[in-house]
This record gives sequence, structure tokens and C-alpha cells, in this order.
Amino acid sequence: MTIQDSIITSPRFNRVLPLCAALTVILLAVVPVKLASAAEKAPAVDFQRDIAPLFEKHCLRCHNADSSEGDFSLSTDQDLRDAEFVVAGQPELSHLLSVVQPDGDQPPAMPKEGKPLTQTEVEVLRQWVAAGAVWPKTVTLRTRSKADSTWWSLQPVVSKEPPKTESTSSNLIDHFIRAGLDAKGLAPSPVADRRVLIRRLYFDLLGLPPSPKAVAAFVADPSPDAYERLVDELLASKHFGERWARHWLDIAHYADTHGFERDKLRDNAWRYRDYVIRALNADKPYDQFLMEQIAGDTTNNPDDESIIATGFLAAGPWDFVGQVETKSPILKRAARALDLDDMLTQVMTSTVAMTANCARCHDHKLDPITQREYYQLAAVFAGVRRDNRDISPELRRQYETSKAELTDEISRLSAQIGQLRGENIDLADIVGGGNGFGTGRKGIGIDARTGMMQERPFGDLGNVKPGNYAASAYPFVDGVFVPASGETLITSTGLTASDLPSNSGKAWDMIRNGPVSSQFSTMLGNVDYNSTGHSMISLHANAGITFDLAAIRKAGRTALTKQNSESPQEDDGIGTSSISYRFSSVVGYGGRTVEPSAEFRVYLDGELKTQGRLGRNDTQAVSVEVPSGARFLTLISTDGGDGYGHDQISFGDPRLAMSSSSGATVEQQQIADLLSQQRDLESKLLALGQPPEFFGIISETPPAMHILTRGDPESPGKAVKPGVLGFGRESSEFGSADMKDGERRLALAQWITSPENPLTPRVIVNRLWHWHFGSGLVATPSDFGFGGGRPSHPQLLDWLADELLRSGWSLKHIHRLIVTSQTYQQQSSPSFQSVSIDGIDSAVGRSYIDPAEVDSDNRLLWRMNPHRLEAEAVRDSVLAITGKLNHEMFGPGYRDFNYEEAYAPIYTYRTADSPPLWRRSVYRFVVRTTPQQFMTALDCPDPANLTPQRNVTTTALQSLALYNNDFMLKQSRYLAERLVSEAGSNTDTQIERAFQLAFARSPNADEQELSRQAIARQGLWQFCRAILNANEFVYID
Amino acid sequence: MSDNQPEPFETGLSRRTMLRLAGGGLGSVALSAMLHAEQPAHHIPKAKHVIQIFCPGGMSQVDTFDHKPELAKRAGKPFDPDGKLQFFASKPGNCQPGFWKFRQHGESGLWMSDLFPKLATCVDEMAFIYSMQSKTALHGPACFMMNTGFTLPGFPSMGSWVTYGLGSDNRNLPSFVVLPDPRGLPPGGIINWGAGFLPAVHQATTLNASDPQNPIADLFPSGESPASPGTSDRDGLSFLQQLNRRHLEKRGGNTDLEARISAYELAARLQLSAPEVADTSSESLTTQLEFQIDDPDIGPFGRQCLLARRLVERGVRFVQIYCGAENTTAKEIRPNWDSHEDLPRDHGYWGRVLDSGASTLLKDLKTRGLLDETLVICTTEFGRQPAAQGNRAAGRDHNGGAFTAWLAGGGIKGGVGFGATDDLGYKAVEQPVYSYDLHATALHLLGLDHERLTFYHNGIERRLTDVHGHVISDLLA
Repeated sequence: MTIQDSIITSPRFNRVLPLCAALTVILLAVVPVKLASAAEKAPAVDFQRDIAPLFEKHCLRCHNADSSEGDFSLSTDQDLRDAEFVVAGQPELSHLLSVVQPDGDQPPAMPKEGKPLTQTEVEVLRQWVAAGAVWPKTVTLRTRSKADSTWWSLQPVVSKEPPKTESTSSNLIDHFIRAGLDAKGLAPSPVADRRVLIRRLYFDLLGLPPSPKAVAAFVADPSPDAYERLVDELLASKHFGERWARHWLDIAHYADTHGFERDKLRDNAWRYRDYVIRALNADKPYDQFLMEQIAGDTTNNPDDESIIATGFLAAGPWDFVGQVETKSPILKRAARALDLDDMLTQVMTSTVAMTANCARCHDHKLDPITQREYYQLAAVFAGVRRDNRDISPELRRQYETSKAELTDEISRLSAQIGQLRGENIDLADIVGGGNGFGTGRKGIGIDARTGMMQERPFGDLGNVKPGNYAASAYPFVDGVFVPASGETLITSTGLTASDLPSNSGKAWDMIRNGPVSSQFSTMLGNVDYNSTGHSMISLHANAGITFDLAAIRKAGRTALTKQNSESPQEDDGIGTSSISYRFSSVVGYGGRTVEPSAEFRVYLDGELKTQGRLGRNDTQAVSVEVPSGARFLTLISTDGGDGYGHDQISFGDPRLAMSSSSGATVEQQQIADLLSQQRDLESKLLALGQPPEFFGIISETPPAMHILTRGDPESPGKAVKPGVLGFGRESSEFGSADMKDGERRLALAQWITSPENPLTPRVIVNRLWHWHFGSGLVATPSDFGFGGGRPSHPQLLDWLADELLRSGWSLKHIHRLIVTSQTYQQQSSPSFQSVSIDGIDSAVGRSYIDPAEVDSDNRLLWRMNPHRLEAEAVRDSVLAITGKLNHEMFGPGYRDFNYEEAYAPIYTYRTADSPPLWRRSVYRFVVRTTPQQFMTALDCPDPANLTPQRNVTTTALQSLALYNNDFMLKQSRYLAERLVSEAGSNTDTQIERAFQLAFARSPNADEQELSRQAIARQGLWQFCRAILNANEFVYID
Repeated sequence: MSDNQPEPFETGLSRRTMLRLAGGGLGSVALSAMLHAEQPAHHIPKAKHVIQIFCPGGMSQVDTFDHKPELAKRAGKPFDPDGKLQFFASKPGNCQPGFWKFRQHGESGLWMSDLFPKLATCVDEMAFIYSMQSKTALHGPACFMMNTGFTLPGFPSMGSWVTYGLGSDNRNLPSFVVLPDPRGLPPGGIINWGAGFLPAVHQATTLNASDPQNPIADLFPSGESPASPGTSDRDGLSFLQQLNRRHLEKRGGNTDLEARISAYELAARLQLSAPEVADTSSESLTTQLEFQIDDPDIGPFGRQCLLARRLVERGVRFVQIYCGAENTTAKEIRPNWDSHEDLPRDHGYWGRVLDSGASTLLKDLKTRGLLDETLVICTTEFGRQPAAQGNRAAGRDHNGGAFTAWLAGGGIKGGVGFGATDDLGYKAVEQPVYSYDLHATALHLLGLDHERLTFYHNGIERRLTDVHGHVISDLLA
């Protein structure tokens, strides 16, 4: 396909090069003679005619006033003199001539990019130099792009009435289209029947199949405006935004991970996705929609939604290693340059369909966009950094306050419940910040020096003051300390422990719920106390901790007083002291040293209850009665005087057991009430959801922006100010170097959404057209430049653009216009047409024209384009038809993979086989480095790319995915179950139901019989599997 | 009409591009690529197939192929006395000579280190590019660059470009197959062999070397399937195709629908051909022993190499093998060549793996007469620093400035070296080349002109070689 075409059409094809070269040589021999003879009549070489184009073609792209690429410019006569590359009259001494010719075996040094000069061109240049290198003073050369400011897409939108045609439609679109058809002697196709229309509309507007009920109602609706009412209904559906947001997210190359090597999660990116769905459902004016996405955080009083909208700028991939991890400033600058390029490209192609990114290394070769302008645009985004951020400080405060209140209350309740039930209190959980009943976290520790909570691992501690007693912020911990030798303070009330062995006075890491950092082992005896069902407190010598038993008792008692008494008792004596415990634990040594090396002690109210000296193979069971009046339980580890290395003491399963529990019915009732309160609070906590954060942008002071020679961040040239595109006719800088980030983006957004900008409305109406018809009026929706396509119906494009502006940028207005047109409602099957043609023999009168021959690509729209469903629509439709689709809208995406934390996270996909994973595909958590292969097989694009139009391919891997993927097999079975439940056990009604669900029609007799046989041979679910693989299911007429 | 006037049918785009842009017109095109459609090349090719070995993590040039006696002379002296340089993760340590002794081999007398004793016996088949460099020293972007020519994700890999340009040579197997390291994906993930913006038909098919019964995802129904999938599935398929043909009758001439019918037939053929190619038991015992497919360390890569040969034997156009994975959580030995702290350990391990597999592959291809038509490429994403890294001075940091790639077979002149690094192996100084020239050369050998293998995407006629690239004629036989 590809190569054959290019052999025929490509001017660059030069297999016959040797022959060409030979010819050139012969010609060259002749040229001087010719020139000599011509010289008598006219100057042999004319600067404007012969030389200027040479410079413009070969030199100016790098050697111009703006670019520092070649260190000098060749734009003017003065430039040429300054460069000293030409000695007038002496070509052999002119450097310019030597660099454009081959040097021995080496190709010419210049031009560095592009083809060398032809020998004829070199000869012309030589003669020009020989004749004195005359360059008129007034002439300044500029690079020339193929398109200039007169390019069609840059002209103002001019809306004209359509030509008069035979069409009787009241929708003007049809007249524009009819005029195009008339010109080629074609006629439109008839309107499709209602079953086709409703299926087409549902998939187009909602991305879902119509229910058999909806089909039946529409087919039977006698009113003339049945179709229009259906359109209105679907445009108003909340599923409309889910369908159309997916199109916009393709353009934003949205995904839920960073991409590149360390493809980390973006847990909060979904808020931007939800913004798009809401905005499209609400028909937010398109200019506002763009304004918010580019600069929604900059207005005076931004609301939450417009701040979230800036997630657009952050939606693309981001290289964590290059931006953050590497220490190399060169690598960082390179990564940042690419980051800005990604942002700029996304904004410019999505909004105005200009490929400004092609001007990164030099002026745009096709469109009137200079390299300077590229860096002006880069300057607009220079202060933008992608990151997680709060939606607003206010929301964050509210969230944190509510969360803390709820968490505290839940913790209090669970402590009461636990004590009422007589459950054992886990002291390790308390060290982990909990209430003794599982609300703490593993790995959390308390700093023995300060009483502060710490998460990260520490090693050898500095600033250690043995003997200092630090109070703790934990409700159930009285305080902590690094024990001094001999006597040391162990409670806030002044109790001490004495006769402690002398120690090194050093300390390591925290007192932790779990092992200390670098702990050799968590096995004490034969039990791993770091495993499920167990817990441990580890204290690397030298450290001590004192629990506040009174506070623990009180937490349990609050429940009793609250429940029993109308006048709550606040005294501390009575209820508290009525509870007695037993403290038990298995104490062991977590280090490697076998020789007993560390010492531990247990104190109750300053009285030594037990102690031991342990090594790797030792454990000691501890059991201490805690009478109802006892207040302080103290655990100490010391290094025993032989250095603190490896002295990791662990208390396995450190528990306070209630010595008795009444089990009375009144308590049972209290427990039930408390549990119900707890459940209530937990559901409130759940409803709080994720923190009010999203993956968006941080606005910073923009650094200076320079033109980068050849796009190389290590070769900065002239400084530029922020600006836009001037298209060669107006100044395009709009700001000063000290302009703030927000102001820059706001100015760009204003330029984009200005009614004077002809590109923005044209581009979006063309996109809508593209998504409705499968092909745009301009076939390249993100390129309205020279490299893109020309409009098939320029006047229609302008008329639609003007309609958009006149409707106040209402996208739904354009949707409605398009889908209510006769053009949209045509049949899609090609059929021979009968058309009258002028000049045809009257005896024939009418001639049959095959429109597929005149216009095989259907650019003129003599029929509707049939098309295959996109990956998302296929998956959603399967779920809709099997009845499993979960319609839950918004919020964090569903994750149909297992996530494994690693330097480069590992994503392993699993079958989506539960209701949370049966949500619509727009809510899929999209991973960049590891695409969902089922979706990829169906042409779901790589979110590294900006995708204005999806590829539609047909591959064997696609067939395998649809036929054999576990998801499809399971769904086939669900469809079979649905058929049985809705159509009973009769095969014929099952078949009827299946056809109605999947194809929106009844089977014919032939299909009925085939289906019966298939079901008889292989069973109902295999029949369903075939239905879900059928062309009719995935193709829309 | 001038360029600036809208003109419905003159779009400046080729008919092919228009066909694609029109949407829905691609089925027949895709089908031809999928089914057989060997495409005419630009010129007469030297090679029909490519086997590319990719060693992710960054293989050190100064410990393998790039002999630097000057580095040994400066051993232990500061590499960067001024302290100005900042590498990817560290400041440079002292000059660190290669950890293995270098020797000259073969008639060509080219140098290779003792890390590769077996590969050294193939030196006269191999052509070395000593002056490779990358635009970045970050794994992800550098892997993308070596595979796609761009440091950003989303561009088509070389294998995709090749199948786009040449189509398939076997109607029962995919034309671009990748065999990832069984330990995991390389840095940057699956999109290293993605089709980017090219139609998905050109993306690689992943072959799972460790599951010969089920080597391709979804090749067969999973556990849900009935007891005997074979007959029942074919029966179900025939019902599906009957439905599809009836559907097509009313929509005559829709090639997309025809293509989809054919795709299911091809899928059925793939169910036979893929397990056949993945089953190495039909290979002779000698061959299995040579590839060491049962060795716990060397075996996985040996099996990948053996499968690569079986694939090209059956006409598969492009096979890519990964020798190493990503920096995941593995503890003892790094899961790829990224040797920051203990190069003797990590390169020692991976060197043994590559040495055995690659040398056996070259000899096996030669014995079977396949080497002449199969271009073998071995590359990494960047090199490593001549300076030591780490407390024990046993590692090396990333180096985008220099690395070595080698090629063999398929029109390559053996026993030659191209380009050179400086005395210390720090930067490519003589004829430095990026991926562009390597890619241009590979395409050239396949009969493709890298400047004419283009695809329109978002405003640009894209190429594997961007706007760069020269065929390295010194390497051509």
C-alpha cells in the first residue's frame, strides 16, 4: 500500500540518481556557455530571481536574525559582509562556496539539514560571487513557509447562506451538502429506517445501545417530531457527557499514571475527567470551557470546578526520573524542555489545530510560525509545574477537620466497645497511634527523646539526653525516655526506677509498633510476631516507655457513664479503679548476637516486676497482675553495659487482658448501640471520600525563556517574552519578561477564545463533525495548516463556526444541528443512484452513476459512513447487553489490575468480573506504560499521543481478544443467564431477545434456524459468545 | 487555484493517507497487511528478517567491546579533577579500567573483553559501532529513543515501521514478534514495542516463551472454556461467520466487514501456527543443549534466542528479544544491566547470559544458512561512565555520551569497527551517531529508504529517523 504509492508520487524518489547526476554534469558543461551568451542581453545572475531563493531555501532556516543556530545571520547584505564568507569577485577565496560543495569523500558541510545544493545551484552561486556578489541594500531575506498569512484557515469566518438546492430540508446543512453532491451529479441516499436511526443516535450520543423497549417505542411513535424529541432526550442524558468526554480526553492525552520509567499512580487525576463530563453535560460555553482549562486558576474568584479544569494542562505524560530524581542538571533541563513542549503542543493542537511544535528547532517549514513564536508560547507555560495540589486551602481545611473529628470519635467508640467486650488491649497498637483495638498503624514509632510520633526509619540518634523524661501526646502513653544509668525518671508524677545497669547513653531509632529499623529478625522463639494475628513493640536499647493505665481504663469507662447515667460523672476515681488487668508478653531479642546482650525490665508504678538479659536464642514469657488501682506500666530496654549494637528488644503480643468481664445484658445492649454509632460514623468517613486534591498545575514564577538553538536546552539563544502566533502579519508578543504565570496563560486563553480568532470555532465544529460522521470536513482535525487537509465544504465549515459563535458557543446547538440534518439520517449502505445529468441523451434521460466511483471516500456525504465502535463503546455495550453495566458516575477510576509498588511500579491486569469493575470505560484507571491489552487490541490509543482521530484496524489479535478473552467469555455466560431470566426456557424467545438486545431487531427465519442449530449443538452461552462477536454488534450502519 | 483556496479534492495528502483519514476505509488495507501482502521494498534488500537483542539498563562499553588502555593507565586517578561534572545519580569517582581483561580475536583482531568468551569467537561476523550516543541518560526516554527514534513515548517502534513498510512474509504468523525478558518489562514498559500512531496492526505480538501451549494472550479461551475447545470453538466460529456473511450480503462491497470475517479465519490459523513455533521439543537435543534452555540463569534467554530463530525461519519479519527487565524490587542481582553499585556482579551475570545466547544464535543462524538474510542487532539504551561509582567504587553511572552496538548477518560486513570514543571511553568523538543512523542502516538493509518510510500524524509526515539519519556504508558488506 504505502510504498507503491510513494514510488509513484514522491518527488524524493531517486533510484535513478546516477543517471540524473550524469545528466547534470553534461548540462553543467553547457551552462556557462549559455550564460555567457545570455550575459550580453541581461545580467547573468539576478539576485532576486536566482540568489534570494537559494539563500531562503538552503541557509535562512538556521542563519536568520532570530536564530543563533549558525552564530550568524544571512538575511541582509550587511549580514553577509559581517560573516566574511564571501570575497566579492573571487569565488575561489569565498568560504561560502567551499562549504556547499563536497570536500573529497565528505558530503558538503552545509546545509546541515536538508539536501545539498545541486551543481547547477552551486554554479549560479559561483557566478554571482564572481560578478561581485551584489545584494541590494533594501532586501532582507526571510524564511518562507509554504503557507503564509493568506492561508485559508487564517481568514476571518464568513458565513453565507447556502446555495439554493432541490433539498426540501429546513436544516441548512443539507443545502450545503446537496450543493456539493449536485456539482458531481450525485444524489443523497434515502433516510435510514427508525431502527437504524435510533441505534446510530444512541451510540453516537451516548456510546451505549438502545434498550429493546426504547427501540419499540421509537419505532411505534407516530408523531412527526419523534426523531427530534429523541435527539433532545439523548442530548439531555447524563450519559452524553460520559461519551463525549472520552473524545476530549483523547485530545488531552489523559491518563491516570505518569508514564515513562517510574510510571507512578496519579490517584487524583480523575477530578479533571469528571470536570469534562460535567462541563459537556451542562453544555458549558466552549470559550469558557477552554478558558478554564488553560487559566481557570487565575481569575479573581475561581470556583472549584474551574481550578480542577487546569488538570487539562497536566493531563499528559511526565518524566519523574528526569524532572525529579536525577541529579544531573543537564538531564533535568532536557526533561523540562520536553515537558513544556508536551503542554504547548497539546494546547495549540487541541484548540487551534496549529502544529506550533514543528517550530521547536527552526521556523515552521509549512506554516507561518517562527521558532521565536514557539518559544513565546513556551514562555506562556514556563511557570507551570505538574503536581498534585489542593483544590483550595479552604476545602482542604474543611476536609481535614471533618476527617480528624470522625476518626477520633470512631477510635473512642472502638476502645469503649473493646473494653466492654473484655477484649485484650494491644499495647503495640497504642504505640502505633491507636486505641489498643486496631486503629493504630504498623511501623509507627515514638521518639524516646521527644515523645513525637515518627514514621520514617532512623538509625543512630543524635542529641540523646539520658534520664530526660518526655511527655507524650498519645492519650494512653504517659511518657518516654532514654534511661540513665542507675536511677532514672519513669513517670510524669516523679516515680523512678533504680539500680539500672550502666549503659552507653546511646540510642537507635524509635520505640515502634513492629520491628525497629534494621532489626535482624522478628522471630522470637518459633513465632514471627510481625505476622498477621500477632503484634510487637520493639525498643532498641536504650529506651523506655510508660503507659497510662488510668487513661486506658477511662476510655473504657466513658461508655458506661454515657450509656447509664443521665448526669454523667466526670470524676476519675470510682469507675476507673474498678477494672483490673493482666499484662502479658513474650520478650525476645531481635538482633543477631547469640550471647545474651540486652536487658529489659517491666515496672508497675515504679516497682520492678520482672527483668531479663537476652540474646538471639532467648525468649522470656512475662505475666504481671495489674490491680485496679495501678496507674503506670513501664517497659525499658538497656544495652546492659556492653555497647548498644544489635540490642533490639521486642515485646511479642504485649496485651492487657481484663481479668473479668460481667457479660451482663445491659452491657450487650450498650455494645450494640455503640457499634451502630460506630457504623454510622464510618459511613460518614467513607462519604468524605478522597482528599480535595487533584493532579493539576502549580503556578510558579516563570524563569526567563530563551530561543533554544536547534531545540537544544544547552544552547540558549536570544531571550523571548510570552506571546502567541502572529501568522506573519502582526506582532505576537503580548507580555513582558516579568509577567506573572497566571497572566500569561490568561492572555493566551483570551487570544484563543477571542471571537476574532477564526481557528477556534472552525476547529471545534470540525471536530464535532468528525466525531459524528467518522471524518471531518477537514480530514485532519488537529492540523489546519498546510500539512493538513483542505475543507471539503468550506462554506459549511464557516456557517457552522458562525452558528457556534451566534449560539454563545453552545456545543449542544451544533450537535443538534448536525444530527437532525437529513445528511446525518441517510442510509449508510451504498446503492446505485438514479440521477439526472445535463447533456445526457434524452432517450436515456437518466443515467446510473456509481457514487463509489465518483467519490469512494464519501467526502461529499452521499451516504452516512458506517463505522465500527471504539474500544470503550464495545466494552460498554457488552456490559449493557448482558445487564451488568454499573452506571455509577464520577469519582476514582476502576482498576482492573493488580498494582505492585516497585521502583518502576508493576501493573498486572485481571479479568473485570465484579460490579465495581463493570463501570463505563471512561472511568477506567488508565495506565500509560502498561496499556490494557484488550482495549489496545480494539484500537484504544496510547495516551502518550494526542489522538484527534482513532485508527480503525482489523487484526487477528483483535478477533482473539473478543472471542477468547476471559472478560468476553464471562460476559457471554451472563448474557445467557439474562436470556433465560427474561425470555424463559424457550429457545425461540431467547433468540428473539438476544437479537433485540444486540442488534435492535428480530431475527429473520433463516437466522432463527441457524441460531436454533447453534444453541442445540453448543449451548446458549456459545451462541451468546457469537452474538457479542458479530459484525452487526460492533458495526453501526 | 492557489494553495490558499479551499479545494475539496486536492488535499496535498496521498490517497493512502486520505483513505485512512476517511475512517472506516482501512479494513482492506489492514487486511492486506495482516494476511500476506508482502509490500514491495524501495530497493533490493540484503536482509529479509531482523532479530534485535535489547539489553536494557545500560551496558558498559568499557567493560565489553570498547578497549581503552588509557583508562588502565589512569586507574585510580580522579576522572573529573575540577569536580564540575554531575552524572545521572552521582559525582564521578576515579578512573576505573574495565573489570575484565581485553583481548584481540579472530582474523580481524578486534578487541573484546573476557566477559564474552563465546561471542569473541564470532567477532569476524560482527560489526561494531563504537560511537553510539543517546540524547538522554534516563532509562525510559533512552529506551524509547533506541526503539522509536524519539525520547518521548508514543512513537512507533522500529519493528512497527518495518512491518508497515514491508508487510508480512507469513500468512499464519504476526510479522512483528517481541519476546520480553521473563523477569519483567523493560524501562518504559510495553510501549517500547508499541505501534505509536501507526495502525494497531503494526504493533508487536508478545510471545510468552515460557508457555508454549498458550504463547499469545487470548490465543485460546481460558479456564472458562468447555472441555474440548478445539472442535466446539471451530463450530461456534462457523455460526459466527454465517451470521457475518448474511450481514455482509445486505451491505455488499463493505471491505471492512469482509476484513473482519477474514480476521477470524486468520485467528483460527494462528491457533495452530503459534503453539507450533513456540514448541521447541522438535528441535534436536544438540540444539537444545547449545542454547542451554534448561539452565536456570542462561536458559530463559537461550530459549528466547532459539524461538527467535524459529520465528524468522517461518518468515516472521522482525523479532525483538529483551535481555533484562526493569529495575524492580529484585535484591541480589539487578534485573538488568543497570550496574550502579556492583558492576562485576551484575554485568558478570548478564554477560554470561548474553554471551551464551547471542553466540549460539549467530552460529545456529549461520549453520542453517539464515544468517545471510537475517540482520542481528544488539544494542542497549546508553553506556556507562569510565569513572567508578559508589563507596566500593565497583559501579558505574549512566552515560548517554557513548556506548557500543553491534550488528551481524543480513548484509553486514563482519569484523569491522566504526567510529570511536575518546581515550577514556567517555564520549563518542569519531563519527558519533545516534539511533538514527543505526535505524537508517537497518532499514536500508531491509530495502527501505528511511527518508521515504513516512506516516502522517498531527501535522507531520513522521519518520523513524525524525529529520536525521545516514546509512553507515562502512558497515555494509
